Amino acid sequence: MEFKLEAHRIVSISLGKIYNSRVQRGGIKLHKNLLVSLVLRSARQVYLSDPCPGLYLAGHPGAPAPPQQPEESAAGPPAGWGEPPPPAGRAAWPEPEPQPERPAVPEVLRAGDSEPAATVTAAGDTLQGGEAEAPEAAWRRVEGPRETAVGGAGGPAEVSGVFPEGPEAARGPCGCPPGDEDKLSAAPRVDGCRASRPAAAEPPASPPVCARKRGAGWVGGGPADCPAPGSTPLKKPRRNSEEQPGGAAAAAEEEEEEEEMETGNVANLISIFGSSFSGLLRKSPGGGREEAEGEESGPEAAEPGQICCDKPVLRDINPWSTAIVAF
Amino acid sequence: MGEDTDTRKINHSFLRDHSYVTEADIISTVEFNHTGELLATGDKGGRVVIFQREPESKTAPHSQGEYDVYSTFQSHEPEFDYLKSLEIEEKINKIKWLPQQNAAHSLLSTNDKTIKLWKITERDKRPEGYNLKDEEGKLKDLSTVTSLQVPVLKPMDLMVEVSPRRVFANGHTYHINSISVNSDCETYMSADDLRINLWHLAITDRSFNIVDIKPANMEDLTEVITASEFHPHHCNLFVYSSSKGSLRLCDMRAAALCDKHSKLFEEPEDPSNRSFFSEIISSVSDVKFSHSGRYMLTRDYLTVKVWDLNMEARPIETYQVHDYLRSKLCSLYENDCIFDKFECAWNGSDSVIMTGAYNNFFRMFDRNTKRDVTLEASRESSKPRAVLKPRRVCVGGKRRRDDISVDSLDFTKKILHTAWHPAENIIAIAATNNLYIFQDKVNSDMH
Repeated sequence: MEFKLEAHRIVSISLGKIYNSRVQRGGIKLHKNLLVSLVLRSARQVYLSDPCPGLYLAGHPGAPAPPQQPEESAAGPPAGWGEPPPPAGRAAWPEPEPQPERPAVPEVLRAGDSEPAATVTAAGDTLQGGEAEAPEAAWRRVEGPRETAVGGAGGPAEVSGVFPEGPEAARGPCGCPPGDEDKLSAAPRVDGCRASRPAAAEPPASPPVCARKRGAGWVGGGPADCPAPGSTPLKKPRRNSEEQPGGAAAAAEEEEEEEEMETGNVANLISIFGSSFSGLLRKSPGGGREEAEGEESGPEAAEPGQICCDKPVLRDINPWSTAIVAF
Repeated sequence: MGEDTDTRKINHSFLRDHSYVTEADIISTVEFNHTGELLATGDKGGRVVIFQREPESKTAPHSQGEYDVYSTFQSHEPEFDYLKSLEIEEKINKIKWLPQQNAAHSLLSTNDKTIKLWKITERDKRPEGYNLKDEEGKLKDLSTVTSLQVPVLKPMDLMVEVSPRRVFANGHTYHINSISVNSDCETYMSADDLRINLWHLAITDRSFNIVDIKPANMEDLTEVITASEFHPHHCNLFVYSSSKGSLRLCDMRAAALCDKHSKLFEEPEDPSNRSFFSEIISSVSDVKFSHSGRYMLTRDYLTVKVWDLNMEARPIETYQVHDYLRSKLCSLYENDCIFDKFECAWNGSDSVIMTGAYNNFFRMFDRNTKRDVTLEASRESSKPRAVLKPRRVCVGGKRRRDDISVDSLDFTKKILHTAWHPAENIIAIAATNNLYIFQDKVNSDMH
């Protein structure tokens, strides 16, 4: 249990560092952010691997699973609900090639809980994976078909909501290990996401769309980014490659702002993020989110159906590290 | 035996109270030139200050070999990348001297994005006796010129002129962390987080990319380049270190793009020391070839290691710099100290290695006697010609009188940059905004 709290604390500190790195003079430092993302990943692994019964809130754990399943079906054994899905690594986040990427990751995702160590891939996908995927996919679903608006909104709301508070929100010691069976059975809201399962066909549709949209921006940066050897790199490649980090980092917070991401304008994202966050809060049932946000409420205080503060942390891990790596 | 030189005008009253330091005055790099006569420092404000060693004179024996300010100039200015809305810091990341080929001295200085070649020349004579101009330079009234004279050179007060000869810009997308001049004296390399470029000193509009570890998908990024250096004698060999703690020796003769290393130096991780921060503390912050070219010195967060170029499996020597911090990694992570990049240095004979630590301590390790010492660079403990007293950090248990406990270490006082004179026992220690220069006049063994 101590490991879990320690890991939780480290996760929140890391997120705070990533958040602050955007405003540092001289631009985002790739090396430092890479190291922070590695720590984030290690802490997340420990967090997930440390069983902690009954100390979490019902929540989203199931959410990531459904949207991903359809995509992964080709890839890995669908481990089923019992698995703690989200955090395990699905490289959701800024995906130049989302489709091929995902199948690989979900496999890792499945193995995630049972073999935390196994989820550590060189790509850092473990971290990026499920969490980001879930809210992202959910969010996309919200933008597209809105049948799971609740669940979907819950996802990204958690993700985005965490950011303004940053570490504070994450510190809420909800300690809910995602993917615990109890959680899965409890939360109606999560079921909202689960409900999307039957509509499995939907999620794959929207993520690819969004991914493609995002991909366009990213892909543009890729090839263009290589300076011709021996020649002075053009401004365009530089812009694309370095815009990505700014965009990625901010976009990690703000998954719904995929359109914004391509502009790489971090300041805009923050302001937009603020306004949309309140919008998301309204969508989430019971406003339980607001209470959970930024408060050190013990897990016991939460009732099933409330989004655990912990979940945003977990969700955020993926987008953050993905964001960092994507930089 | 010790003497200190302040390079910055510091308001002493502030320092007494809170050690108030103007951020622009924080020294960010220190480098002796190849003879040791000149010492260059760069700071966060983009300035370079060069010190020159006064020749020893019999008339003033007590001031022999002191370093005085030789020249100060603004090397880099803050810039703004409008496309990315990013500010480019003017902090000087590295200075490297070029071997001296004529009366002028040349050095390379770099910030995050741009490398500049500076030429430092002296002027101690000036022509006098022009026919058409008078002493102030005004044109003479020709009617007053009755005879012609040949202008002669008259001595004048020494003037040091510094001019930028080359600007190597737009070569790097990521932040430049190191530069290294090749032994061929014609080329040099610059390394950023993901790429290393090879430049010719005379050509500024293009460079060759010789290492590129940027993955096709940035999400696959697992390591970055942290430091690089050319071999001191073999102009085709260079080494670069990574954030994963590995060193790669590359041979430029093998291929145009040296992504494939010739040798990979890596020590397997000790599983018993595994923690959340294992990756961070294994990241190599500095790599230096020995003067002989046979060994490499690397610094990671807690240790310095000596590697033999002929053995890739593990370092031949490992020295603990401040192992008592191993249990404090979490706090050091919180206050960002774990990301500090300490440098390391060889002495001229490659028998002693030096590196900095916290609390203005720096450590020296004698490779032959296996003895080490901790010294402090501070005003209080370094009066001119005072002998530096060895310090000790106690980690619990018996505590001697002058010991410092781990918990009372000042982590804001860190010695990241140190340099050793290429031939003599003179060291330059940068402690935040102060430069300390210590000389070992007795030339004895390391304590």
